[in-house]
Amino acid sequence: MTTLGIAGLRTQARSWNARVRQRVWRLAPGDLDRVVLHHSRIFILPTRRGLALMATLATMLLTSMNYALSLGFALTFLAGGMVAAGLLATFRNLAGLAASPLGAGEAFAGGDLEFTLSLASGSRQRIGITVAGRQGLPNSVDLPPGATRPVALSIPAPKRGHLGLGRISLSSDFPLGIWRAWAYVHFPLTGTVFPAPEAGAPPLPPGRHGSYVGRSSRLADTELAGLRDYERGDALNRIAWKAVARGAGWYSKQFEGTGGGGMLELHWLELPAGADTETRLSRFTTWILAAERAARPFSLHIPGTVLSTGQGAAHRRAALTALALFPPDDR
Amino acid sequence: MIGKQASPPLTPVQVAWLGALLVSAQWPLWGHILIWNAVAGAVLVFARVALPPQWRALTRHRRWLLPLLAIAGALGIRTELGYFVARDPCVQFLYLLVGIKFIESRDTRDGTLLICLALFLSLTQFFYLQTIGAALSTVPVLLALGGTLASLRGGAPAAASDWRALLRSTTRLILQGIPLAALLFVLFPRLAGPLWGSPTEAGARSGLSDTMRPGSISELSLSDAVAFRVDFNGRPPPPAQRYWRGPVLSRFDGREWRAVYKLLPGKFVPRQVRPIEYTVTLEPHGKVWLFALEHPSALPRSPGNDPLSPAGNEIAYLTYDQQLVAKAAVVQAVRYTQRSSLRDSYPGTDDNPRESLQLPRNNPRTLAFAKEMREGVDSDRAYVNAVLKWFHNEPFVYTLSPPLLDRDPVDGFLFDTRRGFCEHYAGAFTVLLRAAGIPARVVTGYQGGEMNLDGDYMIVRQSDAHAWTEALLDGQWQRFDPTAAVAPSRIERGLGAALPAGEQVPYFARLEMTWIKSLRLKWDSVNYQWQRGVVGFNIERQRDLLAGFGLEDARPWQLVAVVAGAVFIWGALLLGAARLRRSRVDTEVVLWNALCSRLGRAGLARAPEEGPLAYTRRAAKRWPQWASVLARIGERYAQLHYGPLDPRRDQMIEELRTGVDALPRPRALNEASRSTSAAKESPETVE
Repeated sequence: MTTLGIAGLRTQARSWNARVRQRVWRLAPGDLDRVVLHHSRIFILPTRRGLALMATLATMLLTSMNYALSLGFALTFLAGGMVAAGLLATFRNLAGLAASPLGAGEAFAGGDLEFTLSLASGSRQRIGITVAGRQGLPNSVDLPPGATRPVALSIPAPKRGHLGLGRISLSSDFPLGIWRAWAYVHFPLTGTVFPAPEAGAPPLPPGRHGSYVGRSSRLADTELAGLRDYERGDALNRIAWKAVARGAGWYSKQFEGTGGGGMLELHWLELPAGADTETRLSRFTTWILAAERAARPFSLHIPGTVLSTGQGAAHRRAALTALALFPPDDR
Repeated sequence: MIGKQASPPLTPVQVAWLGALLVSAQWPLWGHILIWNAVAGAVLVFARVALPPQWRALTRHRRWLLPLLAIAGALGIRTELGYFVARDPCVQFLYLLVGIKFIESRDTRDGTLLICLALFLSLTQFFYLQTIGAALSTVPVLLALGGTLASLRGGAPAAASDWRALLRSTTRLILQGIPLAALLFVLFPRLAGPLWGSPTEAGARSGLSDTMRPGSISELSLSDAVAFRVDFNGRPPPPAQRYWRGPVLSRFDGREWRAVYKLLPGKFVPRQVRPIEYTVTLEPHGKVWLFALEHPSALPRSPGNDPLSPAGNEIAYLTYDQQLVAKAAVVQAVRYTQRSSLRDSYPGTDDNPRESLQLPRNNPRTLAFAKEMREGVDSDRAYVNAVLKWFHNEPFVYTLSPPLLDRDPVDGFLFDTRRGFCEHYAGAFTVLLRAAGIPARVVTGYQGGEMNLDGDYMIVRQSDAHAWTEALLDGQWQRFDPTAAVAPSRIERGLGAALPAGEQVPYFARLEMTWIKSLRLKWDSVNYQWQRGVVGFNIERQRDLLAGFGLEDARPWQLVAVVAGAVFIWGALLLGAARLRRSRVDTEVVLWNALCSRLGRAGLARAPEEGPLAYTRRAAKRWPQWASVLARIGERYAQLHYGPLDPRRDQMIEELRTGVDALPRPRALNEASRSTSAAKESPETVE
């Protein structure tokens, strides 16, 4: 009974502790939608310059006390009043600012993944709002009153897989640079990082001739090989618009690469046995990009995922995402 | 949090702001420091702002140049002042140092250091001067401080270079901080004494000294400077009784009178008359004596203290010769309440005959004259009267510019030139008394004082400096003023009345009341209030003020609580003010209401349910020549007030304003419409 009670208290204390930690540090992505910054979220501390200024004011105060300089007190307190008013101004510059998540981009490992937020200034002007993630360059914006602006934030993406935006900080040291106010916001924004393309990968393997490839002729890469029936998802720039304009129906243009035309089957087991998982994923990434450039339809067969033959941006993204999320080697 | 980061280099705009800050901190010191130092510091600041970068490269390639300059400056200051580790040389060095640091400053971290140095430097001027002007000279410092901080913050270059906007926002911050500053000024605990060292200050100040030789007081009399100001608790005494006692001089070397310092305690005069009470605000003179009307009947107290328990608040002693000697040199303005019995004598014994009868051997004619005259009368008192009568009858001239006398100056004055100022008369008279065996000494101080009717207080100036004599007769030290025997109007009506026409008289000592003089008296009254209320705000006045709010016994934590509460209210008001401003009536509503009332006065009131478009359409029908303007007004107002938030809002408000301003006044509107309607001969105009 008592042990249960104590245990209950302990769990309660732990959850309370967790709530406080979340409230202060925002370590979990708890901000599901638009966040309006107000006093419970905004921290404010003096900057280094602010500390130096306050130390000077303290020295001035001591001097005024020692020499009984009434006007010294007056000067010190006037400057101190300005510092205090600066604190409020810095706070006001951040308070009432609204941030919403807009979206996450895509990137290849080793590149930068771009996240987009939107900042709404509300009723007042916002100056020098710095948006910073865990890593990467912070982004600084000014907003006129009543404005809503997208703000992009690039986060380095070293590894394939999912990449969360993580906790970001919105900060400002306007107007005097002696106080820095900041607020943590943690949106559950996540982007996908595709495997890095393999440098010096072998050329695309020869494809198998599919049913509709027969109409094509073998020509140099990027030369028009022929037309095929339009399929949903084909890129707009591949549509044979002249044919559409003539009323001949919907066709897509097909281009020919040197590596052999036709449908491509990317098969996990067809890669050299010595290659490790990451190399295989990188090579597939390279090939998928090459196939897309060459406008060759491809299918993907990797353990756990099979993508049937297809083409176009959606297909490509599905294939790359499958590669990105492939479970890493346990060894 | 942030590790060592390279600070961004200073931009020209930031350098200009720093230059403005440094100059505004430096210039108030120009009158108080060595001239070469003042010039060097200013030139360095100017050079950093104005000279092209290749000149600064000179210092970068010769790294020893600036340290050498600093050392040379320090040595120069040491040589000129004779010492270095003290307040004044440090101020001088700091003044030079900010210039040197500015020359070599490169990045914003240097900028931070310069801001701190400049702010402290601007405080140091108050060591020397705490006038209204000195206080005003910190306004540019504060403005430049805010501007410099804002420009060092970085941000968009366009915003940082708009100095007007920076000044405006700084002004707003300063104004917002003023209530807090005033509260702290009043409530921050003041100390009764210094924390370290002694805030004494070298440097000559005008005022009486503890020696007197021919010419010393007449020189002082040329100055209009205020010696002290007096608030009387009741009516001020008549001019003839305004003898402000200062240093007493008893040693004479034949030429110069000198004070003898012996801290023998004195006795207060017995109270025969009701004492007069007054409060003196003494300008700092760097010496120890305080001034009181003859003769003090109590020790001076700090004003506002409980008169029943003056213990611990005594600021002075009374010496055996009725001088008030302060416990510390008067290096800043001091205020004390004093009581005096207005009388011209006090009981005494010849406590030290050798001192009050001491005479050197020179001036033989004087000695012989005294002996001869004393033999002709039968009492000491008759002798004194005979000498005063002799002064009165002989052709003595009271003048600020007596001829110089070298050997036996008393002989020369009494028997040859017979032209002199009060120090000549008091000195010679004392010698005559001593030569006849009567103990006597010279008393210096001030005689007179002018009431400032604007502030209802008395001003005593250096030009009121005076010297008289006291002699021991029948067990009483009796005051005699030989100057009064020669120029009675000096005592009754002041210096301006006593001096012969054509003498150079200080401005305020003149008799005629010109408007300039009355203006300057008004200014003095302002200064006095400043001195009393702001500069002289010390621990006593703070206690008085707190007592006024019932806080005299407040414990420190209570005061802290008051301040904290006030700060909270202040912050809440400022943050709330921002919210209020948001909900304030929008500009377009103000303009629209102005339009409605104008059209209403022209006879076309808006119906309560009528929207802007309908109303302006109706107005356009009534005044067709303004139809397009009215239509635009209605459209703009509807957009601004009911439409979505538009980025071109400001521009639209301006358009609305131009439209409203373009419409004529109501009467003109109707007349214009009547004339056009009449031209069209419309039946509607008949009303």
